[in-house]
Amino acid sequence: MKRRELIRAGVLSGAVAAAMHPQLALAQGVSPSSELTPAQSGVDASKDLAAPGWKPLFLDEHQNETLIVLSDLIIPATDTPGAKEALVNRYIDLVLAADTHENQREFLNNLAYVDGESMRRYKAAFRYLAREDQDDLLHALAYPGAISEWTGEALPDIGHTHFEELKKRIGVAYYNSQIGTRELGWDGNYTHGVYQGCEHPEGNHK
Amino acid sequence: MSRNYLQQDPLQQTYDAIVVGSGATGGWAAKRLAEAGLKVALLEAGRAVSPTEFTEHTPAYQLKYRDHSPEIVRTRPIQKQCYACMEYNYEWFVNDLDNPYSTPPDKPFTWQRLRVLGGRSLVWGRQSYRLSDNDFKAASRDGYGDDWPIAYADLVPFYDIVEKYVGITGAAEGNEMLPDGQFLPPMKMSCGEVLLRERVKAKFARTVTIGRAAVLTQNHNGRLACHYCGPCERGCRTFSYFSSPFTTVADAQNSGNCTLLTNAVVSHVNMDSGTNKANGVTYVDRLTRQVKEVKGKSVILCAQAMESTRILLNSSTREYPAGLANSSGALGHYLMDHVVGGGATGHLPDMKTPPNANEPQRPNGIYIPRFRNTPSAKKNSQFIRGYGYQGGCGPDFNFGAEGYGTSFKAAVKQGVYSISMGAFGESLARWDNYVEIDSNLKDAWGIPALRIVMTHGDNERALMDDAGAQAAEMLEAAGAKNIHVQDHVEMPGMAIHELGTARMGNDPKKSVLDPFNQTHDVKNLFVMDGASFVSSACQNPTLTMMAVTVRASDHLIERFRKSEI
Repeated sequence: MKRRELIRAGVLSGAVAAAMHPQLALAQGVSPSSELTPAQSGVDASKDLAAPGWKPLFLDEHQNETLIVLSDLIIPATDTPGAKEALVNRYIDLVLAADTHENQREFLNNLAYVDGESMRRYKAAFRYLAREDQDDLLHALAYPGAISEWTGEALPDIGHTHFEELKKRIGVAYYNSQIGTRELGWDGNYTHGVYQGCEHPEGNHK
Repeated sequence: MSRNYLQQDPLQQTYDAIVVGSGATGGWAAKRLAEAGLKVALLEAGRAVSPTEFTEHTPAYQLKYRDHSPEIVRTRPIQKQCYACMEYNYEWFVNDLDNPYSTPPDKPFTWQRLRVLGGRSLVWGRQSYRLSDNDFKAASRDGYGDDWPIAYADLVPFYDIVEKYVGITGAAEGNEMLPDGQFLPPMKMSCGEVLLRERVKAKFARTVTIGRAAVLTQNHNGRLACHYCGPCERGCRTFSYFSSPFTTVADAQNSGNCTLLTNAVVSHVNMDSGTNKANGVTYVDRLTRQVKEVKGKSVILCAQAMESTRILLNSSTREYPAGLANSSGALGHYLMDHVVGGGATGHLPDMKTPPNANEPQRPNGIYIPRFRNTPSAKKNSQFIRGYGYQGGCGPDFNFGAEGYGTSFKAAVKQGVYSISMGAFGESLARWDNYVEIDSNLKDAWGIPALRIVMTHGDNERALMDDAGAQAAEMLEAAGAKNIHVQDHVEMPGMAIHELGTARMGNDPKKSVLDPFNQTHDVKNLFVMDGASFVSSACQNPTLTMMAVTVRASDHLIERFRKSEI
């Protein structure tokens, strides 16, 4: 089905749906009000984090600044915006504020590990390091490199684990943001025709 | 007020049939009976739903927590275990604080459910497969358990009716374990899936087919074809997947013979002890907590397998002290839920198609029908019965790419071509898997709650071991790398395919229901949902549940015509 046909059918204009389907009038008569999720009530929270005067709910200032620096190193601006512009720190702070104590503590441990390594190696907290030193430290955490002589496989590395946990949170925050969604190439449309699938002859699938 | 208030007050009438539950089965019972001219009251414990609350086109970034809300855990710690319970739609799922149940500490069970018009049909996985006679007569073939009192041939006309109305997309395969049905055109397979199909057929002589799903691939019965936006479980403004509020329930209401009572939390069935007949149900108004009664000439429970049984257990009388219609003692027993947790994932490095955020999203996967212990396969020495796989294969963004910085950002977009399959195994019917009333636990409406006692056994364990190993072999045959085998056993409930607890059978001493879903003990009381299953097979059960309901409903209509009710 083409996009314009969908528009005609009301697919892309929401409320029109009921008109094409008379049976819905029955269901429509009920207004359930409070028992809807914010999304079901039509709340759009996409601008919330950009509110002027934003203050962290959970992180302290140092933790917040560290997270900004770290997230922008992990997902930097290239020809597209990076984690800093996507306000990844603000999103992570929001989630943490509502999270369990266990998850909060785990996040702070991960973040503190980076600072701890930074203090041990460079005698300064991560966010104050020169860009080159920040890069060296992250590289060591991201590519631990120690290989077991016995199995030939990478040895478990505590620093790498802390780093990957932080990276996962930053990745989720970035790629689910509007900037991140755009980064993945989404054109803003909900429909793109019928799923076409494989059209190759046998043995030529790619 | 209208002309004649008393005649219009639903509580002052005596209906021909009271249907409890408005999901996949309750919708069908109400539609069938009301369209045949019977006066029906359809009771739903939750509220009505409106298409204005569908969120399938809401992007994640418009949600406060971008669908990673930690807040849902507060009110829905159990429901959150369901993949479909999301920040978008969690209000459709029950509040776990209001809807408690208990389990022994060492036997966890996850009970994932909705109380809203349409029930789980709003968020179901839509996979729709027929059972075969190998399933209905499984006990005769391997000696375990009991055969169904009905055969595949008994259900064929009703499978046909349901499929033609619902609209099932699928491809005919002529497989001995998975009968073909009335299909709308199949959805297409990805390149990787076609490759898997070719290699698995050549090497193992097994079938890889496109999923059979209750999603329209062409306009059908006033509903539009799928527009491939993806997340059906958040609602569909074109009604392209089957859900009861906008199909069967709407038909029942349009017949003029069906009164819908929402927010009616049924506590028990009422009996006339003089005639040994049910004469209605008692419910608690969900919002006001007022206790009310509805009167009927017949009562049909379609509340979900364990909820229907809970209502019967809570309806004990002097004549039926162990639960209504439980002279057999079988009520509550033989609880089943497909075993899941076995399968494998991997990558297909030879596939070069990159991920594309603007690809149509196919709400369906692939299916591999059961190939163990079939008539044409040799008997397996480790286990009886078998399993089928659901799976999928295609390019994905590589959020797990290694490293950081510009190279990480580029690797995410470059993507990875992934392949996965996960098994659904038959859950054997066992007496010691059961539900009972927990006398110390009540729900928010004061209704005694269930204690659920279920474990998967050695056979289910062996099925998942084999499912992991076989999945890995098939992935390898397709050229997959980085293969990870999964062969654990998930806790019962995770398949969300609860079945049994009021099984049908010919012998009133060993079963609760007769072959037409009537309780052996009470002639005008019926259970027409998954509670009636004798064995679970390994296919997703909703299609069979609906066919069983239509068959039983049509039989009840006949009995009304003959004035037997």
